[in-house]
Amino acid sequence: MKGHISNIQRFSLNDGPGIRTTVFFSGCPLRCQWCANPETWEPRPQDSLMTSDEVMDSLQKDIIFYEESGGGITFSGGEPTLQKELLLEIIEKAEFLGIPTAIETCGYFNWDHLQPVFHKLDLVFIDIKHMDSCIHKELTGAGNRVILENIKKIGKLRKPTVIRIPVIEGVNSDDRNIKRTAAFVKEFVPTGSIELLPYHSFGSHKYKDLGLEFPSNSFLTPSNSRLKELEKLIESQGVNLVSFK
Amino acid sequence: MSLSPRIQQTKDEYIHSKPAICLERARIWTQSHKETEGESVIVQRAKAFKKVCDQLPVSIFKGELIVGSAGISRRSGILTPEFSWQWVDREMDFFEKRPQDPYIITDEQKDFVRKEIFPYWKGKSLEENYLKRVPLETAMLSIDTGIIDNDSKWRQAVGEITPDYQDILFKKGYLGIIKEAQDKLNSLDYTSSDSISKIDFYNSIILSSEGIINLAKRYAARLTSMAKTEPDAEHKVELTEMAEVCRRVPANPPETFHEAIQFVWFVQLGAVLSENPLAMNLGRFDQYMNPYYISDLESGHITEIRAQELIDSLWLKLSEWVWTISSNTANYFAGYNQFQNLTVGGRKRDGSDGTNAISYMALSATKRVKTHQPGLSVRIHQNTPQQFMHAVIDLVREGTGFPAIHSDTAGSQMLMQAGYEPEDARDWSNCGCVVPHFRKTGQWTAASNINFGAALEYSLNNGRSRDTDEQLGLDTKDLTEFSSYEEVQDAFFDQLENLVHHSVVGTLIAQKLHMEMVPRPFLSTCVDGCMDKGKDLSHGGAKYNVGPVLTGIGVGVVANSLAAIKRMVFEEKVTTLSELDQALKADWVGFETLREKALDIDKYGNDIDWVDTIAADISNFFYRSVRNYTDVFGSKFNSAFMGISNYIPTGKIIGATPCGRKAGSPLTEGVSPYVGTDISSPLAAMKSSAKLNHDVHTGGTLLNIRLSANMMNTTRGMNNIAAMIRSYFNLGAFHVQFNVVSDQTLKDAQRNPEAYRDLLVRVAGYSTQFINLSKEVQDAIIARTVHTNS
Repeated sequence: MKGHISNIQRFSLNDGPGIRTTVFFSGCPLRCQWCANPETWEPRPQDSLMTSDEVMDSLQKDIIFYEESGGGITFSGGEPTLQKELLLEIIEKAEFLGIPTAIETCGYFNWDHLQPVFHKLDLVFIDIKHMDSCIHKELTGAGNRVILENIKKIGKLRKPTVIRIPVIEGVNSDDRNIKRTAAFVKEFVPTGSIELLPYHSFGSHKYKDLGLEFPSNSFLTPSNSRLKELEKLIESQGVNLVSFK
Repeated sequence: MSLSPRIQQTKDEYIHSKPAICLERARIWTQSHKETEGESVIVQRAKAFKKVCDQLPVSIFKGELIVGSAGISRRSGILTPEFSWQWVDREMDFFEKRPQDPYIITDEQKDFVRKEIFPYWKGKSLEENYLKRVPLETAMLSIDTGIIDNDSKWRQAVGEITPDYQDILFKKGYLGIIKEAQDKLNSLDYTSSDSISKIDFYNSIILSSEGIINLAKRYAARLTSMAKTEPDAEHKVELTEMAEVCRRVPANPPETFHEAIQFVWFVQLGAVLSENPLAMNLGRFDQYMNPYYISDLESGHITEIRAQELIDSLWLKLSEWVWTISSNTANYFAGYNQFQNLTVGGRKRDGSDGTNAISYMALSATKRVKTHQPGLSVRIHQNTPQQFMHAVIDLVREGTGFPAIHSDTAGSQMLMQAGYEPEDARDWSNCGCVVPHFRKTGQWTAASNINFGAALEYSLNNGRSRDTDEQLGLDTKDLTEFSSYEEVQDAFFDQLENLVHHSVVGTLIAQKLHMEMVPRPFLSTCVDGCMDKGKDLSHGGAKYNVGPVLTGIGVGVVANSLAAIKRMVFEEKVTTLSELDQALKADWVGFETLREKALDIDKYGNDIDWVDTIAADISNFFYRSVRNYTDVFGSKFNSAFMGISNYIPTGKIIGATPCGRKAGSPLTEGVSPYVGTDISSPLAAMKSSAKLNHDVHTGGTLLNIRLSANMMNTTRGMNNIAAMIRSYFNLGAFHVQFNVVSDQTLKDAQRNPEAYRDLLVRVAGYSTQFINLSKEVQDAIIARTVHTNS
């Protein structure tokens, strides 16, 4: 089974605990307007076509660093669940070697197909971009019903789960949306915590490189004081915050 | 904790004063030698030392807590014409103008030394004698060539000593040492021929010990008279206390923390006056200082703040005196660096963790005072407290390049390999930059640098330099005549072996001359074994005599170049040896496409086995080659891949190399990858370097990695960097040091040096003030790859 891998990044320090290697899968079902990695939307010719063994060769190089730091490997993208067979193969091989695994997912997938994957993962990062399905659809090309349902199912697995909110000023950073998100996490993900990821525009140059139009310049980075307010709001809902900075 | 006003003021005065030559030591030393002609050289040198101690002007600077200066300026450099005066004569007219490590010297001073000092030493200096004795073939390769570099061993004293405070100095004091030497003298049979040299030795020990005691007493007297006229009541008390300290030490064993620190400084100062040494180390400072700190704390004699102030004062003292060196040596050891290494952390002799309060205070001193000395090293082992790791990374984060971080166990393994008893091997500290060392040792830890790039060039160019076309290597064959990769590799090994051979020849002659001409009575008081054997350090008096270290420079460049030949010529056949030969001759001009291909070949430092294996083969060969030779004491030579700024001058004389490097560019430092080519990750660079069997290279290995400071801003980040370091050591590696400043900062410092007077950067194996480096070295540092995580 070969899959499209856009990059394998060693020495990742912000994709979970410890020192990690992050595997970037190509292809994504969503089209978030602020996406920082538009090059991963579709598999590209320059992506590597790799077997799980080839991916494992890279992942195994830094085992000694994972062990010492409490790190491991993180599947990211793109959307790793789009290549579920390859993903599962890699997870099973990592499990055999005792390497902890984490995933960064948009949550937009068919649960029945991905259930075995989520049972084996050690840590889940999953986004809630907006609690309002219509706005969600406008921003990402899809509604949030499937995503929220999947999060409920992941919540039942009682695994360490981090709900990530890409905080974009003027889009989803209002009190109401954040409060609703926190309340949802509180109700359905007892082992969940929230990480706020303030929007940044570092990816905007990529659109030009890819011949795409950067859809909007109305996205703004939230101020530090606004982030602090949101953190308080989340904590007031009884949900823990985490940060992998 | 911020600096106390006193330390801040002393620091300000230090960074604003310019290094200046002081002739007093040379004048008195020369005068003494004139008076003692005909006596044995060891006694002559001891008498000269004593006379210097008796007559050198006492210089106490405002606000000092620890006193003693090598000259009349705060930042004095002394001359040691007995080692070499010719280079001084040749270069001193340019001292103020030279790009690396300039000194102030007045016309009056120049006239004086040319009339009164140099004529006496004509024909008598170590340098002149070395140049007379070194065979022509060795001289062609080793006299200011950049091919084999050992001039710090015949233009300078050896240094490379770690005084034994634990078992000798703090136990006995110099009065105790005098008594012991006197007892030895009394028990000698004066009718035995064996005794003749011993009598001279013990007399020289007594003279040297009396000298250092007298120097301290002269400071005590001055402090007492200063106290008398001091209007400020508080300072009056302080001066009186300082006088009392200098009256007690180093004559007697110290009883307080203050006395112990002042003792240490007098020993350093004695070493400076005796030979202007390189790498006069302070050893395991936390281990021998902590008992005084604890007992002073318990008795209420000291506060933590006062103890820190005393440590800060020592740091300033260690930085103030200037190691006077030739411009050639300054290119290799850039930045007024005296290489006084000080080691904290690590296991005790019994194997348990020895990290203590002083370990933290030493890190704190470097963090706050930001002096380039001491060369602060830490030892990290499996049971090093994570809190200490955090303190280490907190200092790393400052971007001063300190501390040098070492694997406790790799250091011990290196010493075991060199033949030490296990307890002694566990008790190591650093010498110079990254050499694991034990205080009861006589060793030349930086005997010679060998330019691996030269061996590569000669193997591909029929033994000739591409730059000058001189026949410098073995006359073998042209690049075009090789028929397999193995032949190329063997040709490189043959040329390397030849350079090792000549390095050994030069080292043995220098060792012999040091025995004859420049014995070291003062330093022999500091090293265990000399007293028992009745032998000077230079004669093998130390308990352990370990073989001289030959340092390989450029293993990364050679590995990359051999890899490029292997892949491009013999495997993928994208080029021929004759095309490559032309490309190298043309410095790649007109062969840009081929150069692109060469640059694209996998490079050492990315955890890619096939090329890393070549680097490992080279280092293994070097180890075996070096170990075939023994020194004047019958000890096997040792190998190292350590730094110093040597990778820059050694690169200058080497033409284009098959890895795509242009003529004259720097080589590689220690076991570090070539600048800008470790593109995978710092973990990959670490893994590549760890493949080089660090434990056998007992002269030390050096890896320099630049990280951006933002990785260490959070506790999580600090823990990750700590894990990265621990993992690197789990891989068997010995040393890593981080530079964490941004390019922006460095470029700004180039433009506005005044604003960056205290900006420290790691050069290689040590850190120094950025603005004290030549433009070229600054540019080389800026060019290093910065690893950031995205």
